[in-house]
Amino acid sequence: MWDTARMDVKRVVDVIRVDPAACTDGTPVEKAPDPDLGTDVIPAERYYSQEFMKLEWERVWSKVWLLGGRADDIPNPGDYICTDIGKESVLIVRQHDGSIRCFPNVCLHRGNRLRPEGIGNAEQFRCMYHHWTYGLDGKIERLPDLCTFQQGGPPGMTLPSLPCVEWNSFVWYSLNPQVEPFDDYIAPLKEHLEPYHPERMAWSRDVTVEWDCNWKASVDAFNETYHVQGIHPQLLWYLDDVNVQIDCYEKHNRYLIPFATVSPRVAMPSQIPPAIDEIMRNAGMDPAEYEGRVGDIRRDVQLFKRKHGAAQGKDYSALNDDQLTDDYHYMIFPNVALNVHADDIMMFRQRPHATDPNKMLYDVWVFELVPQGEEWPERVKQRRFKHGDRSIGQVLDQDAYNLPTVQLGMKSDSFPGLWIGEQELRIRHFHKVLDDYIYGPGGKGPDDI
Amino acid sequence: MDLGLQGKKAIVVGGARGIGYAVAEILAREGCDVALSARGEDSVKDAVASLSRYGTKVVGKPVNVKRADEYKAWMEWAIEALDGVDVLIPLSSASGGIGSEKYWHNAFETDVLGPVRAIEAAIPKMTEQQRGSIVLVATTSALEAMGGPQAYNAMKASLITYGKQLALAHGKDGIRVNVVSPGPIEFEGGNWDMIKGTMEKFYNSQLRQQPSGRLGRPEEVARAIVFLASEAASWCNGSHLVVDGGFTNRTHF
Repeated sequence: MWDTARMDVKRVVDVIRVDPAACTDGTPVEKAPDPDLGTDVIPAERYYSQEFMKLEWERVWSKVWLLGGRADDIPNPGDYICTDIGKESVLIVRQHDGSIRCFPNVCLHRGNRLRPEGIGNAEQFRCMYHHWTYGLDGKIERLPDLCTFQQGGPPGMTLPSLPCVEWNSFVWYSLNPQVEPFDDYIAPLKEHLEPYHPERMAWSRDVTVEWDCNWKASVDAFNETYHVQGIHPQLLWYLDDVNVQIDCYEKHNRYLIPFATVSPRVAMPSQIPPAIDEIMRNAGMDPAEYEGRVGDIRRDVQLFKRKHGAAQGKDYSALNDDQLTDDYHYMIFPNVALNVHADDIMMFRQRPHATDPNKMLYDVWVFELVPQGEEWPERVKQRRFKHGDRSIGQVLDQDAYNLPTVQLGMKSDSFPGLWIGEQELRIRHFHKVLDDYIYGPGGKGPDDI
Repeated sequence: MDLGLQGKKAIVVGGARGIGYAVAEILAREGCDVALSARGEDSVKDAVASLSRYGTKVVGKPVNVKRADEYKAWMEWAIEALDGVDVLIPLSSASGGIGSEKYWHNAFETDVLGPVRAIEAAIPKMTEQQRGSIVLVATTSALEAMGGPQAYNAMKASLITYGKQLALAHGKDGIRVNVVSPGPIEFEGGNWDMIKGTMEKFYNSQLRQQPSGRLGRPEEVARAIVFLASEAASWCNGSHLVVDGGFTNRTHF
């Protein structure tokens, strides 16, 4: 942990945190020992090299578990999620017995995609081209003029099955039939994330934006809080970007950021900052009634939510006090970033472009807690556009703003790679996990990018 | 120009930060003994420690001006600690807020009753001394629209009216009362510091409205306040001085 007193701060703040010993069930809070990952430059070439992109496809994207979508988008038999990853596309389909199955989204006849990306319901999947028709289980139910195929139908008369699971309201799949069990892959995050009960939260935002940068530039952007003082100055009156706990696990990592407080980088105001005012209102407090100091608000919001949550139809019983205000920010390797909060989850899925290492797809998924007794809202519409065409909100616009210029700078002969500090340990950890997939555990050589 | 503040006794309510601190600092530098208050014990302690370097008597104690009894006792303590009161500058403010009726109560209790209670506690002593000077601090937000309809602007406006009435009523006892209305003032930890960080566009729009292209500094208002409080302003009574670097559009006939 860095010395906060020697950073560019105005104050040293001793953040009140829950006692790890007292959090025996629920999300673990103890600090994981920091891995020693050295201080090497992270080569810039991996952000634009076609060869590295190919290695990523062969050794990561086609091998690991990937986030497919939200389980409550497919409650009934025939409901499906069609989602793309790189050059591939998959169908995740609810079966008649309530289970889910996953298939490549491709007709075995001439290769046509069976469905466009998105969610829907189908009694069967009929290819538009020659009407080859597949059941919900992937079996070919109708192959027009089968007798004209001397070789018969494709093997087993079925689409290949791909591994898929449902966990914590989300569906996951893998392009790798030999993928390790999901529980092994996701460890240790099950116990971390299940207490948030995402099944009680409903879609409030579903946006995909095409960004002009490598997917890893986006992963990096959300893996450190050091950039807050740079591109999000307004958040300094909302969160403490200095007293951040970083935990690196085997593949995944997280940081814990106190919210509803003022950064030590700015002078403590006597007036309640607007964004903290909003946190208080959302909790049911009246900021005008508040008699305490601004520095006490975070703890008082926690106590207020603990006391009044149940009456508001919000069951916080599985969460610790810090979770009632703070941002627990998880990164699930390789491409999912989640800001989990007591009342909402804001998550990003960062997908590589099918062919261009300089482009990516950035999915923003937001879910909000639906208080008990309140009507479940209608699912929001999926929207998709290119960076700059529309705003995705002040903070995310700020995040997105300089990623294209980061991507351009990566290619400069004068830029060997990322010069990473301690506050960016998660970036180093992410790239180490990536290295181990690309080059084999510990196999990255000095000349490897 | 001699301000004639040497050896005078001054009370600054809300003197630990911003304009209030700048006022207390100039007063101390000019030779006044100063008693100051703030809500927080730490900020009072810091302010007193810092102002003691000018060699006059500087005392301070935290007080919440919304608690009438506690506040009255504080004023008695301050007058006693200074052994009199020549200058009173009550600047306590709850600042703005929209969306809850409670903001009206806060502004009334802090921005209006804060000065009212201090003045009521000081007037007997000043009358007895046949000498005293009070400066109220309103705002340009009382004169022109700013930040939407809210209690802060309306309550501060009442000080301008009240100040004039006080001046008329107590002039015969050698007590002068004047009002200063500052425009936007920026200092570390102040509202405009936060607005600069959190609402950059709005902040910049305000900068554009300032003829000099910047916001004011606490000492730029404090100097005007201290002048009105001083003997040098002996013929200023019931006046209302706008100190805003030309921020307001209206002509102050």
